[in-house]
Amino acid sequence: MDLSFDKVTKFYGPVIGVNDVSCQVTPGITGLLGANGAGKSTLLKLASGQLRPSLGDVRVGQHRAWSSAAKRRLGYCPDINTFYEEMTGREFVLAMTRLYGYSLGEARRRTEAALEEVGMSDRATRRLAGCSHGMRQRIKLAQALVNDPEVLLLDEPMTGIDPAGRHHLGELLTRKAATGMTVLVSTHILSELEELAERILMIGRGRVIATGTLPEIRRLLANEPFVVRIDCGAPRRLAARLLEHAAVLAVEVRDEVLTVRTRQPDEFFAHVNALASEPDIEVTRLETLDAGADAVFAYLEPRA
Amino acid sequence: MIGQLRSLSTLLMLSFSRLLWSVSTLMLLFPLGGCVLFLLRRGYGRELDPLAAFADFSQEFMLFIFAPFIVPICTLAYATMSIGGDREDRTLVFLLMRPIPRAMVFLAKLLATLPLVVGLVVVSFVGFCYLAGTPGETAVRVYLPAVVYMSLAYVALFHVFAILFRHATIIAMVYSLFMEVFIGNMPGLVKRITVSFYGRSMIFGLGLEHGLDPPPAEWFAPVTPTVGAATLLGITAASVLAGVLIFQYREYRDLT
Repeated sequence: MDLSFDKVTKFYGPVIGVNDVSCQVTPGITGLLGANGAGKSTLLKLASGQLRPSLGDVRVGQHRAWSSAAKRRLGYCPDINTFYEEMTGREFVLAMTRLYGYSLGEARRRTEAALEEVGMSDRATRRLAGCSHGMRQRIKLAQALVNDPEVLLLDEPMTGIDPAGRHHLGELLTRKAATGMTVLVSTHILSELEELAERILMIGRGRVIATGTLPEIRRLLANEPFVVRIDCGAPRRLAARLLEHAAVLAVEVRDEVLTVRTRQPDEFFAHVNALASEPDIEVTRLETLDAGADAVFAYLEPRA
Repeated sequence: MIGQLRSLSTLLMLSFSRLLWSVSTLMLLFPLGGCVLFLLRRGYGRELDPLAAFADFSQEFMLFIFAPFIVPICTLAYATMSIGGDREDRTLVFLLMRPIPRAMVFLAKLLATLPLVVGLVVVSFVGFCYLAGTPGETAVRVYLPAVVYMSLAYVALFHVFAILFRHATIIAMVYSLFMEVFIGNMPGLVKRITVSFYGRSMIFGLGLEHGLDPPPAEWFAPVTPTVGAATLLGITAASVLAGVLIFQYREYRDLT
C-alpha cells in the first residue's frame, strides 16, 4: 500500500511547515532525511493523520490520512518518551491493541506476537516507569505493529537502542518490508539509514529535494565529483595512468594514499578495474568517500 | 460496529481507572477533609431551631463553600485531566492514532469522568449532610438535584477547556475563582454568565419552603429552580456539542 503526498502544503499560521510536497512512498523501507526544522516531523504528522494539510492531499492507499480507515492500516511509532507509566509494557501494548476493537483473546494474541517481534516478550512485565530507554523504544514499536499495518511510520526508532538491538530491529523492519509493508523511517543516524533504507526521501526547508535510491540521488549531483580513495602499491604510477582518462578530473597522492575525483563513476570504475588487473599495480582498497547518506545530505542540504 | 463498541469500552475503562488512581484523587482529600473539619466544628445539628439550622447550613455551607468551591474543584480535578492529562503527557497521540472517531474519543473521556465526578460530589455531599445532622438530612433531599446538575455542567465545560488549552487545570482554576466566584458575586445581571448562578438559584428556590431566606433582590435575583435546572442542562448539552465539534477538527501540533 502506498503513502502518497499530492501537492501538500501545511501552514502554521504565517510559517510554512511543508511546501508543495508531492511524492509517493512505496512498499519497502524509505528513509526520511532532513536537517532540524526541514519539515520531517510535519511530514510524518501529516502522514499519520495528526495534522491535516492546508492544501493538497495525503493518502494511505485510497484513504485520507486523517480518516479512521487510514489509521486502521497505519502503524505509528512517535518520537516521544512518554507512556502510561503506571502500566507494564504488556498492559500498555494490550490496551493499545484493544483500542483497535479486537476481542480480548485476539488482542492478547496480537500483543504477544508484537512483543515477540520486538524482543520484549520476557521483559514486558516490568512497569514502564522502570524500563530503560531502549526497552521503551521497543514497546513503542510493538504498539505500532499490533494491527499488522500496511504502512508503518517510524520517528527516530533506533534512538537509545544498543547496537545488538539495532541490528535486531533492522532485521525486523527488513522482514516487514519484504512482506510488502511500506515503512517510512525518520532518523538522524545516517549510517543506519544507509544500511536500512532502500530509498531516501530528502527534505529541506519544507520541500522534497531528492527521492530515490542513494546511488541514484548521488548520480544526480553532477556538480559534485565523486571522491574515491585508492590504496595500492604504486600510487603515483596509478595516478599518472588515471589522469590519462577523460573521466578523471583530479588526483592527489598523500601518505601513499591516492585520492581521485571523477564525474563519471561508472567509466572510472571500469577503467580502474582494467588497471588493477595489471601486474605492477596492486590495488588493496577502493572506497568512495562521498557516496554515503551523510555526504549526499551534506551536498544537498545547503541547496534546499 | 462491535469493534467500535469494544474500542469505546476499552477507552472508557482505561480513562476511568487512570483518573481514579491519579494524583487528583489524593489532592481532593484536602478540601473534602477541610469540609469535614468545618462541619464538625460548626455543629449545625446542635442548633435548637431546626429551621434556623437549615437556613444556616444552606447559607454558610451550601452557598459559600460547597457550591462555589467544592463542586468546581472536584469537577475540574478530573474533567481537565481526562483529556488534558493525556495532552500534557503527550500520550494523546497514542489514542489519536487508533481508528476511533475523534468524537468517540471525546465522549468516552467525558463518560469516564462523569461517574467519578458525580459519584464523588454526590457521595461527599451526602456524607457532609449527614455529618451536619438534622438540617443536613433535609438538605440532601432538597439540594441533590442542584448539586448533580451543577456537576454535569462543570464536567462538560471543563472538558471543553481541556481540549482548547494546554494547561487546562490552571485555566479552569482561574476561571473558577474569577468567573464563578468574582463575577458570580457581582451585583446585576452579569453573574448570569456563570454556572454557579444557576446552581445557587436552584438552591435558593428549593430551600425557600424549608426556611431559607431569599437573597436581597438588589444583590441576587435568582431564576426559578426549573429555569436553573434547564439552563444547567443546556450548558451541559452545549458544552458536549462544542467539545465534540472542536475535538473533531482540532490539530495538536505539540504531541510529538
